[in-house]
Amino acid sequence: MPNDYLLTVISNIGMISLIALSAYLLLISGEISFGQQAYFGISAYAGAIATTLWGWPLWLALLFGSSLAALAAGFVGLLTLRISGLYFSIATLAFAEMVRLSLFKLTYQIEIDGELIGPNGAEGFGEIRWIFDNDVSVLEYTLLIYGILLLVLFFLVLIERSRLGMIFRMLGQDPLLTRVQGLNPVRYKVTAAILAGFIAGLGGTLYAHSFTYIEPQIFNMMLGVHALAYGLIGGLGTVLGPLIGVAIDIGFLESVRVIQGYRMVVFGGLVALMLIFMPRGIFDEKRVYWLKSIARRWFRA
Amino acid sequence: MLKVDNIVTRYGAIEALKGLNLEAREGQVTCLLGPNGAGKTTTLFTIAGILNSHSGSITLEKDNLTNLSAAGIVRKGVALVPENRLIFPQMSVEENLIAGAFARPRKDQPAINADLKGIYERFPQLKERSAQSGGTLSGGEQQMLAIGRALMARPKILMMDEPSLGLAPIIVEEIFGIISLLNKEGVSILLVEQNARMALKVAHRIYLLEGGKVTFNGNPQEMQQDEVIQRAYLGAGST
Amino acid sequence: MTDFLQNCIDGVMFGSGYALLALGFTLVFGVMKRLNLSFGPSIMLGAYAGTWVYLNFSQNALLIVLVTVITTVAVGIYVERLCFWAVRRDAAIASMVSSFAIWMQLEEVAMHLLPERTYPFPTFFTSTVIDIGPFFVRSEHISMFLLTLVLLALLHLFLFRTRPGLALRAVSDNPLASTYMGINSSNIFFLAFAVVSVLGGLAGFLILSADSQVTPFFGLWATFKGLIAMMLGGMGSLTGAILGGLLLGVVEANAFWYGGPLIRDISAYLLLFIMLIVRPGGLVGQRIVTQQQAAYERV
Repeated sequence: MPNDYLLTVISNIGMISLIALSAYLLLISGEISFGQQAYFGISAYAGAIATTLWGWPLWLALLFGSSLAALAAGFVGLLTLRISGLYFSIATLAFAEMVRLSLFKLTYQIEIDGELIGPNGAEGFGEIRWIFDNDVSVLEYTLLIYGILLLVLFFLVLIERSRLGMIFRMLGQDPLLTRVQGLNPVRYKVTAAILAGFIAGLGGTLYAHSFTYIEPQIFNMMLGVHALAYGLIGGLGTVLGPLIGVAIDIGFLESVRVIQGYRMVVFGGLVALMLIFMPRGIFDEKRVYWLKSIARRWFRA
Repeated sequence: MLKVDNIVTRYGAIEALKGLNLEAREGQVTCLLGPNGAGKTTTLFTIAGILNSHSGSITLEKDNLTNLSAAGIVRKGVALVPENRLIFPQMSVEENLIAGAFARPRKDQPAINADLKGIYERFPQLKERSAQSGGTLSGGEQQMLAIGRALMARPKILMMDEPSLGLAPIIVEEIFGIISLLNKEGVSILLVEQNARMALKVAHRIYLLEGGKVTFNGNPQEMQQDEVIQRAYLGAGST
Repeated sequence: MTDFLQNCIDGVMFGSGYALLALGFTLVFGVMKRLNLSFGPSIMLGAYAGTWVYLNFSQNALLIVLVTVITTVAVGIYVERLCFWAVRRDAAIASMVSSFAIWMQLEEVAMHLLPERTYPFPTFFTSTVIDIGPFFVRSEHISMFLLTLVLLALLHLFLFRTRPGLALRAVSDNPLASTYMGINSSNIFFLAFAVVSVLGGLAGFLILSADSQVTPFFGLWATFKGLIAMMLGGMGSLTGAILGGLLLGVVEANAFWYGGPLIRDISAYLLLFIMLIVRPGGLVGQRIVTQQQAAYERV
């Protein structure tokens, strides 16, 4: 019987990795979003409503929540097409804060077994019991999370190797040049936004069912800035970068006793120092290339 | 007066200046000519301290300018009129001129005020527009403003980067008129130009740059006698 | 109608505080083309220092203002060195993210320093209600409004009548050209941060003094109100900051009156979001700020 606390930490890393990957996808295509928490939150609420109030199976709720998040992300992506840089970052932040504040107003409750259940504004949304009702153990749920994470990673690796991934990186380095190459940045920017929204959404629904209780305050900008920082710490050269960032923060910083209570001091300082000395993270494009060439040499020998 | 000795300047791995020597003499107009990418602007930027040289030395009279900061070099008496004029578009003409004197110590204030008057006498158009913002001036007026602003630093040597660029021929004539007038009043000038014909009219000494090196130096007569150069830069026979 | 006008009066009074905060953002943005998201939290730390002196040592208003301002400046300089000076010159976005990360750091420091979260902030304004015809205004709001005007006048004098002020505007107007003038832009950045922190410290003092309390949320509040007000007006514009502050104040006052606190907060973000989409340059800024500008900067 594995330690439940450890499993919770591990599954937490998995779910937060999804939102970190969503911020990463936008980062490599050159946009800094402060607002991925919005899509995480939208999907958390939508997915939890689907299973708890409507009795849908989890896989359908996952699809539903994530699609809704992708839809919202696509909508914001279309609206923010004309702006980039700081303007884009602040616009995404404004949108995310609107979503969070609106959740305070969201009350939708149904009586189930003599109890009112459903999101209730600032009171939050408890009793998301799908895991218990279906006798899913913590271990099984963790495996599910990692299964989905692996699928997403696989998908992202495919994208990175494809024409689309190259265009994303081109956009990230020089939008003007991309246009000169005859590519329409509009299409790719919206595509990136939708994909990122969907990935954040997967994390959101999983999160709601893992913790069984959600409230608007969870989806504040702290979550957003963390999601962003993970990619910047871990590195923008590989899809594993954000995961390394999450592991450093949740796996390491949270478990070290000495810095209990000073986690943000350490984390904030770490991000600031990283941006000075390694602006594209530990595993940036250069180091990834270097590691790959070493691996290739080893393989041959 | 200004002596550049065996300067090497690099952009990363690329050597833009490969051991460049030149000397600008007091009271003369020294002109750097050469094709795009020859290193003319790089030379000016290296002298001005915006770029750092990898080796070699730059001296102005007795001062060693090598590896001083850009601000320090302005204080030593080198002023630059940058390419494309580069004025402060949102600030008024007068503020632009005052900004030119920033490198001078505060106790110079009476002299600065006198110089401002002097600039207005030299360029009456600027006086008329002293309260207007710099961005509203025409191209020629902006060039005058940029020259006036550089003069406000009371430089020992004035460096000008392609003052004729993007200006109508008649305005170019005017600007070169100003250059030779300034020179007659005793201002030493280091001029970078693509317009070889105009440059020949005002220059005392010409340096030809190619690939980061000086390939010719001499006075305009000598240059006009050299047939190869004649053909390459002045387009002999044609026009 | 009377309600609406009354709301507008209240909005202008509050808005003057927003305008002061927005000026802090706009000055830094104007000079450095960067956003300092840690502006609010540094003011909050300053206010905490002020309140600490008030609770433990002295009730002298001047001393408390001084401590508030000095602490804000000290934190401001820490942020400038770490997030702006040390970060590569062309990496505006990195600076913004870095200042965001430092925000989190400052907030936690504040929570450790004063763990009870809410603290009284000394009030030096007498509070009475003044009637003007059918409308009324609170006296502390009038004092705040008037002091804001005085600060604005001082700032204007500094920027337009002094040599450092001119240098600051020169860097803001054309950073490259200002290096040819022998202006050391690194010093000017430092100066901008110092001026902005003084302004922020004073603004924080005025606002909190009218509120008579300080909480850890003040950092977030100040950053957002200042940021929204600046972006509404137009990044980097002084007039824009003032107009944006007043607009935000008026919109919020009305939204609060007709919809309550939650609607007030949502309305502020909604206003910002719409402005960014429709006219990213803000009220007084350029209409188009992205593609053309990017292309222009290449030339």
